[in-house]
Amino acid sequence: MLRFVIHRFLLMIPTLVGVAVIIFLLLRVIPGDVVEAKFMSGEGSGVSAEVLQAERARLGLDKPVWEQFAIWFWGVLKFDFGISMWTGGPISEEIELRFALSLQVALMATIVATLLALPLGIIAALKQDTWVDYAVRIFSIAGLAMPSFWLGILMILGFLIIFEWLPPMIYTPFWVDPWQNMLQLIWPALAVGYRYSAVATRMTRSSMLEVLREDYIRTARAKGLWLKLILVRHALKNAMLPVVTVIGLEFAFLLGGLVVTEQVFNLNGLGLLFVQAISRRDYTLTQALVLLVAAAFIFVNFAMDVMYAWLDPRIRYR
Amino acid sequence: MSATTEGVLVEPASAARRRRWLDLTLSFCRRRPLGAIGAGVVIFMILVAVLAPWISPYDPLAIDFAAMLAAPSAQHWLGTDAFGRDVLSRIIYGSQTALIVGFGAAFIGSTVGAVIGVASAYFGGRIDLVIQRFMDILISFPLIILALAMVAVLGNNLPNLIAAMTVPMIPRCALVIRSSALSVREMPYVDAARALGYRHTRIILRHMLPNVMAPYLIMLTAFLGQAILLEASLSFLGLGVQEPTAAWGLMLRGAAVEFAETAPWMALFPGLAISLAVFAFNLFGDSLRDALDPKLRTG
Repeated sequence: MLRFVIHRFLLMIPTLVGVAVIIFLLLRVIPGDVVEAKFMSGEGSGVSAEVLQAERARLGLDKPVWEQFAIWFWGVLKFDFGISMWTGGPISEEIELRFALSLQVALMATIVATLLALPLGIIAALKQDTWVDYAVRIFSIAGLAMPSFWLGILMILGFLIIFEWLPPMIYTPFWVDPWQNMLQLIWPALAVGYRYSAVATRMTRSSMLEVLREDYIRTARAKGLWLKLILVRHALKNAMLPVVTVIGLEFAFLLGGLVVTEQVFNLNGLGLLFVQAISRRDYTLTQALVLLVAAAFIFVNFAMDVMYAWLDPRIRYR
Repeated sequence: MSATTEGVLVEPASAARRRRWLDLTLSFCRRRPLGAIGAGVVIFMILVAVLAPWISPYDPLAIDFAAMLAAPSAQHWLGTDAFGRDVLSRIIYGSQTALIVGFGAAFIGSTVGAVIGVASAYFGGRIDLVIQRFMDILISFPLIILALAMVAVLGNNLPNLIAAMTVPMIPRCALVIRSSALSVREMPYVDAARALGYRHTRIILRHMLPNVMAPYLIMLTAFLGQAILLEASLSFLGLGVQEPTAAWGLMLRGAAVEFAETAPWMALFPGLAISLAVFAFNLFGDSLRDALDPKLRTG
């Protein structure tokens, strides 16, 4: 088991390095750079070539690409992500400012999704091909079909027209005023959570269906075991693994912010930061954000693999 | 195969095949009514997109300042936007954009993914390992983030937008196809083809690819809905399809939110169109998946 964990852990390293290389190169291929974005935007682009050159030199953009990469990557290894090329502030601060918000929304969306998905998925599997199943499936397919940002627009529209009220537009940290904080963040969490729950509901349903057909369930039934006991002890336990995986992976991606939905609710989270960073060609900030989300995703993947191996010894000896 | 045997065989075989297809379609509709409804809506959408010039009441780009932000009425069934453009006409023309981008990205993404997946399984060994590692890396990027970065690299005219959207789809498809192709590789007919000395490309394209059709179709239909959603999201951010082209995501941008209170139809109907389209594609794709391979899960 320990060998498996170590092996699997070491496998994360090339993937992370690969992500770093790819995002680094991708950003250099995008036409224009941060200096152009800073000085050439708008009408007053009367900045001389020398000034641009000096600014590039200041940011280290005049060095060869491999050298830029080496400098950046050496910093990353020391958990130093450098300074934002746009604002000049340290990147750790830029991210810290918004991380609390994004983490909170991600957590709330996960709770919403889990509370919806588990009961719905289980009941749909138990009543397969009845109207209950059809209703749950339509509900979840609809969740996949509706863009979260549109759901957000609809919510705001509904509040405006029916209650003549708008959710607060300025972020209040939870520890300052929990009520104001919830009033603002519960809506994006619901909008994203619905879509997220749809993914998890479908996984719960199909995973339950698969497990319910297993021999040991039939054996348990034949033994005359109490149906509830079979469900909880035998079926659920085995059906939950893929569901937990889906929820975990989705959570990792949500940590990176709600790239689109944040715009609707005027949230200053990591998603908005990412969109701004990439349109400003803020290389260092974009790289840090992408690496953060990818690392979360890769780590959740790793944790899930270890859990699978722990629960199912066959995997370890593959 | 010589021409004579082909000539004798093809006639009855194609007729039988046609009857089989009809039977299959009918039984699909009977046994999976939800899927049939989805397919019906998809066909309706395609018809709307093709017939757009004849059925749309107005020019989708025609600006009419006299009718700015007009509420739904007999003249403008779904109202007009901030430039006085007819919302219904823009939704009808928007279906062209959605379908072109949706089908384009889903088809290219899943086909390239399938070829990579099959090749990876066929060659095995070190090539397989390298391809798998690379796919793992690409999958670690969230869909929208990778698509956004690719749009920034390629620019956002329609073909480039499609190309950008295929990038996050390819690795997801390659992984699924590879696992199916692994078992196909062990089949005797692949050995036979190899013994006959066929080239790798021929074995991959002619012998293995047709045998992973089921997962391929499943991924393709799953991507259709996702591609339409992704395009809508990108356009909503202003990074996808550009004004004045009619696109559903674009219609939800800017004025639709600003004037939400006075002109809610601007935000309501394009979103409904997106949802209905993706809903129909998913409904159809789901049923197709159940029919083709009940064990395969795409999540």
